Amino acid sequence: MKSTLMAILVLSAVFSAQAQEAYQAPRVTESLLLDIDHSDFVVAVGERGHILTSTDGEVFNQQAVPTTTTLTAVTVLGDKVWAAGHDATILYSADKGKTWVVQMAKPELEKPFFDITFFNAQQGIAVGAYGLFFRTNDGGSTWKQELHASILSAMDQEYLEEVKQDSPEYYEEELSLILPHFNKLRVINDKLYLVGEAGLVATSDNMGASWQRLEMEYQGSFQDVALINDSTIMLAGLRGNVFVQRNNEAWEQVPTCLSGTLNSILTDNSDAIKLYGNNGMMVTLEQPIDAVIYDPWAAPGQCTPANGFSAQQTKDKASIVNVTRFNGHLIAVTANGIQQLETE
Amino acid sequence: MASFTTLLERLIFGYRKVVVALFALVTLYLGFQASMMHLDAGFEKNVPLNHPYMKTYMDHREDFGGANSVLVSVCDANGNIYNQQFMDTLQQVHDALFFVNGVDRSSVTSLFAASTRFTEIVEGGFSGGPVIPADFDSSRQAALDQVAVNVEKARIVGRQVANDYSCAMVTARLLNLDPKTGESLDMLQVASDLESDVRAKFENDSVSVHIIGFSKMIGDVANGAKDVVLFFAIALAITAVMVFFFSRNIMMTILPLVCSVVAVVWQLGLLTVLGFGLDPMSILVPFLVFAIGVSHGVQMINAVEKKVVAGMGAQHAAMSAFRALLVPGGVALLSDTVGFMTLLVIDIGIIRELAITASLGVAVIILTNLILLPVLMSFLSLNDNYVKQFNKKEQRNSAFWKAIASCANKKPATIIMLVTVGLFIFGWFQSQQMKIGDLHAGAPSLQESSRYNQDTFLITDKYSLTVDYLSVVVETSPEACTSYGVMRAMDDFQWKMANVEGIQSTVSLASVAKNVNAGFNEGNVKWQVLPRSNQMLAQDISMVPTSSGLLNGDCSVMPIILFMEDHKAETISRVVTAVKTFRKEYETDDMQFKLASGPVGVMAATNEAVESAQGPMMLYVFGAVIILCLISFRSVRATLSVVLPLYVVSVLAQALMTYLQIGLTVSTLPVIALGVGIGVDYGIYILSTMSHKLKAGATVQQAYLDALKERGSAVLFTGITLAVGVSTWVFSSLKFQMDMGILLTFMFLVNMLGAIIVLPALSRFLWLSKNDPDA
Repeated sequence: MKSTLMAILVLSAVFSAQAQEAYQAPRVTESLLLDIDHSDFVVAVGERGHILTSTDGEVFNQQAVPTTTTLTAVTVLGDKVWAAGHDATILYSADKGKTWVVQMAKPELEKPFFDITFFNAQQGIAVGAYGLFFRTNDGGSTWKQELHASILSAMDQEYLEEVKQDSPEYYEEELSLILPHFNKLRVINDKLYLVGEAGLVATSDNMGASWQRLEMEYQGSFQDVALINDSTIMLAGLRGNVFVQRNNEAWEQVPTCLSGTLNSILTDNSDAIKLYGNNGMMVTLEQPIDAVIYDPWAAPGQCTPANGFSAQQTKDKASIVNVTRFNGHLIAVTANGIQQLETE
Repeated sequence: MASFTTLLERLIFGYRKVVVALFALVTLYLGFQASMMHLDAGFEKNVPLNHPYMKTYMDHREDFGGANSVLVSVCDANGNIYNQQFMDTLQQVHDALFFVNGVDRSSVTSLFAASTRFTEIVEGGFSGGPVIPADFDSSRQAALDQVAVNVEKARIVGRQVANDYSCAMVTARLLNLDPKTGESLDMLQVASDLESDVRAKFENDSVSVHIIGFSKMIGDVANGAKDVVLFFAIALAITAVMVFFFSRNIMMTILPLVCSVVAVVWQLGLLTVLGFGLDPMSILVPFLVFAIGVSHGVQMINAVEKKVVAGMGAQHAAMSAFRALLVPGGVALLSDTVGFMTLLVIDIGIIRELAITASLGVAVIILTNLILLPVLMSFLSLNDNYVKQFNKKEQRNSAFWKAIASCANKKPATIIMLVTVGLFIFGWFQSQQMKIGDLHAGAPSLQESSRYNQDTFLITDKYSLTVDYLSVVVETSPEACTSYGVMRAMDDFQWKMANVEGIQSTVSLASVAKNVNAGFNEGNVKWQVLPRSNQMLAQDISMVPTSSGLLNGDCSVMPIILFMEDHKAETISRVVTAVKTFRKEYETDDMQFKLASGPVGVMAATNEAVESAQGPMMLYVFGAVIILCLISFRSVRATLSVVLPLYVVSVLAQALMTYLQIGLTVSTLPVIALGVGIGVDYGIYILSTMSHKLKAGATVQQAYLDALKERGSAVLFTGITLAVGVSTWVFSSLKFQMDMGILLTFMFLVNMLGAIIVLPALSRFLWLSKNDPDA
C-alpha cells in the first residue's frame, strides 16, 4: 500500500514536472537573468524560471525546470544547486543543475526571495522581501519560516517591545509587517552579513539565529556587501551609494556621484574593486579606497567622485545584477541576459 | 448584324456634323469634370478590407492605428546636439510643428516639451523634473551640460535622442478632423505644410531635418505621381512621331491622336462623375486607354488608306472602313475588357477600381476611335501625292514581311520552338522563386533613393526605432489589465514571439508593467515581474497612459507589438505562422489574440490576399482568353497557337520579376492580367486572317505571309505604341510605377514578338499536313 502510494506520488511529480517544463527558448541567453554562481560549473537563473548552466563559461544551456516563476537567486555548493525566487519558490538540483525539483512554493505569501545561501549541504537560509526568512536544516527537504526582530533598528525594536507588552497577540503580525526587504546574504570571515532596505546592515555569528544590526546614518537600500581587504567592509546600493568601514570604525562614504543603483561588488582583484549596477554601470575603485565622512545634507549638484574612481557603461546599458569570474571569463547577468564583460 | 451596321452607318454618316457636335459637347462637359479630378491617395482601397487581419485593424484603428503620427528628426552636422545653434533650431522646429494645421497640439513631444521629464529613484520614492528646465539658456555651457545629464536620467536616448547624440526627435500625432473646417484632415496639405514650414525653414548646412510618417509619405507619393503629366506628354510626342512615320500624313497623324486624347478625357471625366479619384496606381489607366486608342486608330487609318489607294474618296473610304472595323475592332476591345474584368475577383479596392476604370476607358474607345475617328476622317481631302507615297510603302514592307514569314519554315521554326521551350523551362524555374510582397526596406511605394526613404533609413539607423512592426491585438474583457492571469498570458505569449527569428524586439502593456513594477521598488530588477495582486498591478498600469498605444480606455484591448527586422514576405509569414501556433496555448473564450495591426499587419493581410488571388486570376484570365479564341476560331489548334505563346510570356514575366527583385504586390498583380488581356489581340489579328486562308486551302507559310501583309504593320505598330505608352513609367520616382512600367513594357513587346515569331513556328507543327513542301 505504502509503496503504491509512493509510486503514485513519484509518478505525479514526474508528470507535473514534465507538464510545466520551461519552453526551450532560442534567445534565452538574452532574457532577464538575475543571479549567477559557480563551482566547477556555472548556473544563472532569471525570468520565467529560466536556469542556464555552462561548463566552460561560454556556451549556456537552458535546463528543464518545473516552474515558470521568476528566479532571483542561486547558490552552488559542490554539485548541489539551490535557486530561489518569486512566489516564495525554492528549487534544488543535486546534479549540477541538470534536473530540478521544487522544494518549496508559496505563492499565497505574495513575497519573493532575493537571496539564498547554504553553510553546508544541510544548513541554509533564504531571505527576501518584507522580511521573508526561511531556514532548512535538512538540505532543503523542509523549510521553516523565521522572524527576527533583532534585525530591526533600535527604534523599531523598542516599538515592538511596546506592542508585545500591550497586545502580545499582534506582536508577530506587527513584526512581519515592519520587517524590511532583505536583499543579500554574504558569509564573510565566518560572519553572516545581511543587507537590505532602508539602511539595513546586520551581522550574525550563529548562521542567522540571532542578529546584530549595525548603525547606519544613511537610510537608503543596500544591494551588496563585501570584504575588500583584511579589515575593510564595503556596502553598495541605491543611487550609487558606496560605504566602507575600516577596522570596525565609523562608516565612511565613497562618493561616486552616480544616480543608479549599484547591485554587485567584485573583489577578486587586489588593486581595484569593481562595482556593477543599473543602466549597465561598471565602476572601478582603486585601492586604497578614498572615502569621506558621510554628509546627508550635501547638495546633489556639487559632487566630486572619490580619487581612483572611474566608471563606464555597457553598450546596451542593461542593468547588471551580478557578475562572477569563471574559467577566464567575467560573466555578468543582466536585464538583457548573459554578457561577457571585458576583463581588460 | 450587317443590317445593323448599315443602319448605324447611315445614321452616323448622314448626320456627320451633328455627331461631331455631340462629341464636342460631351468632351467639353467631361473635360470640365476631369479638371475637377482630385488626387485620391486613400489608404483603405490599397488594402484587402475584408481580410480578417484588416477587420481587426479597422476595429481598433481609432486606438492603435498609429498611422497618423509624424516623426521629425533634427540632426546636427557635427554629430553633437549639445550646442546653442542646434538647441535653438530644435525649439523652433518644435514650435513650427505645433502650429502646423491638423497637428494635435497636446501631442507634440520633444526635449522642449513640458511632458519630457526625468524620474529618478531616490531614498523613499521618486524625484524628477523637466529635461529642459524652464530657465534654460542655450548660450550657457552649464545649461547644455545639465540637459545632457537629464537626458540620460530620462532614458530617452534611442527614442527622443539619437543613440549617437547627433539628432533629436520632435514627434506629434495628427487629428482625424481638420480643426478649421471640421472635415477630415487633408493629408496632402499636411505633407506640404511639413515640407515648407518644418523642413524648408530650418534646414541648412549645420542642421538637417528628416520627416517621416504616413501623411508625409502620402504627400511624397502624390508629388511623385504628378510627374506622370510629363510622362504622358513624352508618350504622346513619341507616339505622334511613330504615327507620322506610319501614315506619312499630318492630318492622319493628328486625328487618331486627337480621338485617343478625347477617349482619355472622357475616361477621366467619367471617373469624377462616378465619384472616383485618381490615385497613383490608376494613373496607369489613361496611358493604357491612350495607347489602345492609338493602336485601334492606326488600324482605322490603315483601312482608310487602302480604300483611298483603291480609288475611293475620303468620305466613302471612311464609311467603308467604319463598316469593316466596327465588329472586329469592337470584339478586340471587348476582349481587352474581359482581361480587365478578371481583376474584379481580387478583393482589394484599388485593383477593382483599376478593373472598372480600365474597362470604362476601353468602352469609351469604341465610341471615339470606331465612330468619331472615321467621321472626322470623312472630312479629309486626300490628294494623289498621298496615294503614291502609300504605294511605295506597301512595296517596301512586302520584302520585310517575306523575311519574317520564314519563321514558319521548317528549320527556323524548329529552332524557334527549341529556344521557346528552353526559355519556358528556364522561366518556369525562375518564376517559382518569385517573391510575394515588398522586398525592399523603407516605404515600398517610393524608390530607395527617395528623400523619404533616406530619412526613414536615417531614423531607423540612428534611433532604436523601426517602422516595421506588427501588432497582435489582445481582445478581452474590460479592466482585464489588472488581472494577473491575462497579463501573464500576454507576457508568456510575447516571450515566445520574441524568440521567433526575424523579431527584433517586442513590447506590450505586460512588459511595460514589469518595468514599472521594478521602478516602484527602487528600480530593483529583481522586482521586474507582474505582481499577482490586483492592486499592485493596477498601480503599475496607472503609470502607462493610453497615449502609449498599449491599451485602450478600459484596457479591454491591448496590442502586443512585435518589431521586425524587415518586412520581407518570408519574415512576415514566419511571424504570422508563429502567432497562430503560440496563441492556441493562451486563448480562452474571454481572451483572443487577434491578427493584426501595425504597418506589417497590413502587409501580412495584403500579401495573403495577393498570393491567394494570383492563382484564380491567372485561371480566369486564361480561361476567358481560351473561350474567346474558341468562339472566334472554332478550332483547338488555332486557340493553342494563340494561347501557348501568351502563357510562355506570362511565365517569363514572372521570371523577370524574380530576376529584377520585383515582388508580387497589389500593383504588380494586375500586370499579368492586363498584359494577357491586351496581348491576346496580336495573336487574334494574325490568326483571324491565317485561319481564313487555311480554311481556303492555303499552306501555313502562305497564310502567314498574307496575314503579315494585311495585319503585320498594325500588329508591330500596336505593340510598339503600347510599349512606348508605359515605358516612360520606368523613370517614375514611384517604385511601383517603375515596376509596373517595366513589366507592362515587357509583356506588350514580348507578346508581340510571340505573336509574330512563335505563333507561326507553332502553327507549322500544329498544321503538319498543311505545310509548303519546299519550306
